[in-house]
Amino acid sequence: MDRFRARFETVALDIAAIMLGALFIVFLMQIAARYLFNAPLLWTLEACLTLWLWVVFWGGAFILREKDHVRFDVLYEVVGLRTRRAFAFVSAVALGGGFLAALPATWSYISFYQIKRSSVIGIRLDIVFSVYAIFAVALIVRYFWRAALIARGADPQVLDAREAQDGRAIQ
Amino acid sequence: MSIALVSCLMTLIALATIGSPIALSMIVSAVVYLAVKGQDLGLAAEQIIQGLYDSFVILAIPLFIVAANFMNAGTISDRLTHFCLAIVGRLRGGMGHVNVVTSLIFAGMSGSAVADVVGMGKMSIDMMIKDNRYPLGYAAAITAATAVIGPIIPPSIPMVLYAIVSDASIGYLFLGGVMPGLLMTAAMMALNSYMAHKMNVPLEEPVPLREIPAVTFRALPALLMPVILLTGIYGGATTPTEAAAIAAAYAFFVAAIFYRALSFETIRRVMHESARSSASVGLIIGSALIFNYIVASENIPAQVANSMKGVDIAPIVFLLLLNFLFLILGCLLDASTIILVIIPIFIPTVKALGIDLVHFGVVAVVNCMIGLITPPYGVLLFVLNAVTGVPLRVIIQNIWPWVWTLVASLLLMIFFPEIVLWLPKQFGYQG
Repeated sequence: MDRFRARFETVALDIAAIMLGALFIVFLMQIAARYLFNAPLLWTLEACLTLWLWVVFWGGAFILREKDHVRFDVLYEVVGLRTRRAFAFVSAVALGGGFLAALPATWSYISFYQIKRSSVIGIRLDIVFSVYAIFAVALIVRYFWRAALIARGADPQVLDAREAQDGRAIQ
Repeated sequence: MSIALVSCLMTLIALATIGSPIALSMIVSAVVYLAVKGQDLGLAAEQIIQGLYDSFVILAIPLFIVAANFMNAGTISDRLTHFCLAIVGRLRGGMGHVNVVTSLIFAGMSGSAVADVVGMGKMSIDMMIKDNRYPLGYAAAITAATAVIGPIIPPSIPMVLYAIVSDASIGYLFLGGVMPGLLMTAAMMALNSYMAHKMNVPLEEPVPLREIPAVTFRALPALLMPVILLTGIYGGATTPTEAAAIAAAYAFFVAAIFYRALSFETIRRVMHESARSSASVGLIIGSALIFNYIVASENIPAQVANSMKGVDIAPIVFLLLLNFLFLILGCLLDASTIILVIIPIFIPTVKALGIDLVHFGVVAVVNCMIGLITPPYGVLLFVLNAVTGVPLRVIIQNIWPWVWTLVASLLLMIFFPEIVLWLPKQFGYQG
């Protein structure tokens, strides 16, 4: 299980890195086309924005560990184990629950866009935006799973540390 | 303040206090707001998606992150340190000055204070504490403090964020940061001289003058980065976003070809790291944009502006009060949250009082960057602690003289807007 997760994380990271690399290269193509060849490309900006959207939410779904997020963890770090478990449990349930509550409405917002296509490349916008749904579902699963582990007695700091271990070699 | 807003803020404060990721907490509290108001819960997703998908300027952020990480992956920090050692190492408190000046130059490449600490922090500290020349706490504090210059000297990710919420010109904001950055550098060098005298730090062996050209040449590609960036933007050739892409490409070529410091594995690692940071910053921006939507639909900025009309407050007093508030908030909140959520609330008032938006923006960014080193919540202190292993307690004990020096520079910028505005005006800023 752990090996599977580590493997999955590496693949997710590679995909994010490739999308970011593509964003970078497409952007350079746009600059080259405009300044060197004097023939501006129309599709590049849209491609970059789409890739950016995907990097952010794909990343938020699969590659950001608890520690990578911007957090106010001063209090979390100093309280005792029992309080910290309570903190982490409440936090996980609230985040999972919040995203779950908004999921149906979120999905109907995204699927509404199946009638619209992006203006230059012509991809259906529900496909472009679907990454937000992936993000939301991943977070729901992740935080309810975390809540379950904590409820069964896990120390959230140990969970965080194990996560960081899996993402070894990074940072 | 409506019940919906109160429940939203309470949710946010509660979740943030117990250590939940800020971005996700903001999204969930926005959902709470919409639920209490009886609005469509899908609005949260709509605001965050549209906010990220519609802004061209925003693309500068992942590109600057990539640029900074490539610069860090090369042997650039090493070369820069040697260059600075040759130039300012001979002065009293030499190593401290080297630390300040490398941060200044590094600032011209990275645009992020955290990148500066990661890139330069460990090496600067190791050099300072070698042979017990400087106490560890002093070395750590000066490293954290000088990293603050990073986002003041262009390029600057926080200024891009400010431009997104205020519609001020990124080009003029970047230019406006140059003089304040130099002022802060001078102030910190003065403090370092004074402290070095007090601690009676021995003088360094000066680097012979005839070696300076060679050392400079080795550092040259890194030194050229800010020049390329600024010429691109102010020569009118490129937009800041394009400049960011060119900066990243330049960093890549310098590291890969000139310094031969990139293997496939390194590139992969750099892109992994960049994707992580981009996702984390992107989520903060997106969720802050939902908050802006809420703040705007509650009509808060206009209410603030109106209530200020009644008070008849002098612009300078308002600026001082606001900066005081930002400094306090900076001890508790993350800088990008302050810039994206708190600052927009006051922008209509700033305009109504006739305060220049570029002046205000640069001052606000400097202020938020000071917040990066103020305990208890100072991101740079944490990063430095993580990268170098210096205990937080030791860093915090030594940080205060630096905080006060930076606050003094901030006050100068508030009272003398020309420190910020002089340079943009030379390039045609109308004010």
